[in-house]
Amino acid sequence: MIGLVIVSHSPQLAEAAVELALEMVHGEAPPMRVAAGVDGRFGTDAAAVATAIDEVAGEPGVLVITDLGSAVLSAGLALELRESSTEVLVSAGPFVEGITAGVVLAATGAPLEDVAREVAGALDAKRDQLEPLPEAPAQASGDPLSADEVLINPEGLHTRPAAMFVQTAGRYDALVDVTNLTTGTGPVTAKSMIGLLSLGAKQGHRIELNGHGPDAASAVSALRGLLADGFGEVPSASAAT
Amino acid sequence: MATLEDGSLTVDDLIAWMVRFDEQIVEHAELLTELDSAIGDADHGTNMARGTAAVRLRLEQGRPDDAGAVLKASGMALVSTVGGASGSLYGTLFLEMAKRVGTASELDTADFADALGAGVAGVVARGRAEPGDKTMIDALYPTVEVLTSAAAGGAPLTESLRSAAAAAAAGRDATIPLVARKGRASYLGDRSADHLDPGATSAAILVQALADSQTERDR
Repeated sequence: MIGLVIVSHSPQLAEAAVELALEMVHGEAPPMRVAAGVDGRFGTDAAAVATAIDEVAGEPGVLVITDLGSAVLSAGLALELRESSTEVLVSAGPFVEGITAGVVLAATGAPLEDVAREVAGALDAKRDQLEPLPEAPAQASGDPLSADEVLINPEGLHTRPAAMFVQTAGRYDALVDVTNLTTGTGPVTAKSMIGLLSLGAKQGHRIELNGHGPDAASAVSALRGLLADGFGEVPSASAAT
Repeated sequence: MATLEDGSLTVDDLIAWMVRFDEQIVEHAELLTELDSAIGDADHGTNMARGTAAVRLRLEQGRPDDAGAVLKASGMALVSTVGGASGSLYGTLFLEMAKRVGTASELDTADFADALGAGVAGVVARGRAEPGDKTMIDALYPTVEVLTSAAAGGAPLTESLRSAAAAAAAGRDATIPLVARKGRASYLGDRSADHLDPGATSAAILVQALADSQTERDR
């Protein structure tokens, strides 16, 4: 079984979420550690997260599930501070739903990547139960602030297309978040080459763009164009446009 | 042997920097918290003061042998006490600097500029913030630029640090009109404009503390 590390600003929040999740497991539960709070206050401690990872590192892989933003930063730093070398993934999944989904699947002995995918998609079940929100009011230009496209170029979002993305995004007074919907990785900013490469976006993956700022609509539209065009690496796509 | 004229930062200078950083954070803790209450969760001053006190305590408990060890001990103390994004980001800044300087016992202007550059690059990678996002990067980026060009021009260390502190302060003040794009302040969107960023403010204090402690040493 893989190990799970739960990172939260609050020990109570983490313990309760774990307890809730364990209700769903009737056999042996996966090894779990909580790293939550700093000195009895809200906060996260990267050193404590690193220790928690090391404690379950005897397992074939460790998945880290985090609550709010800075827990993600602490988890990232913990990957550098830890002493163990087992594979560790930090999940972008939702906290309560993700822990529950992760515990249940990990208990079956599923490998790290499967559990990571399950946790990343853990909001889908809830979303499917509810009516979608009405569309946001259209922008003056009529272009959407959000868009998604399937990556068609064979090499995926490698260095050259990532650089094109960054250059294009840099021309607009807008911030565009890029998410790999297929793997649940991201969002990262379209202006960060390293961030884009970290999406691990391969051919066939669905990429979501979310823009904000004054030029968001034009920026999203331009970046979407690059994706649809396969970054000029797919002859037929270029010819079709 | 380095002399005062050579303008190198020794282990003792780095420790004096951290002591001065703590004093100035304590002095400005209320301001930092007040700034944070406008666009964040009103804890930056108390969190940073807890962190810098822990840094001092750790450095007093055992004097590190080299520059890297001072920076690493400081970074680890901040990581484990500040909490939140500031703990990870300041921790990353110091730990990346520590990695870059290694076991050096003295840092000249170029070494320090290079180390700070590595630290700031680490913070950028960790926080995925760019200049203009209304974060500590807005104070630290100009600091690295000024130090790097001062080192290239052969300016004396203390003078370079004073110019760097002025650049950090200007970068800090330039965050006022910006809209936050990172951290919890970004949830406020346009409402985060017209406020000084608390992270840029504490980062400017960090640079000022070094300029001040070196100025004092030169007297």
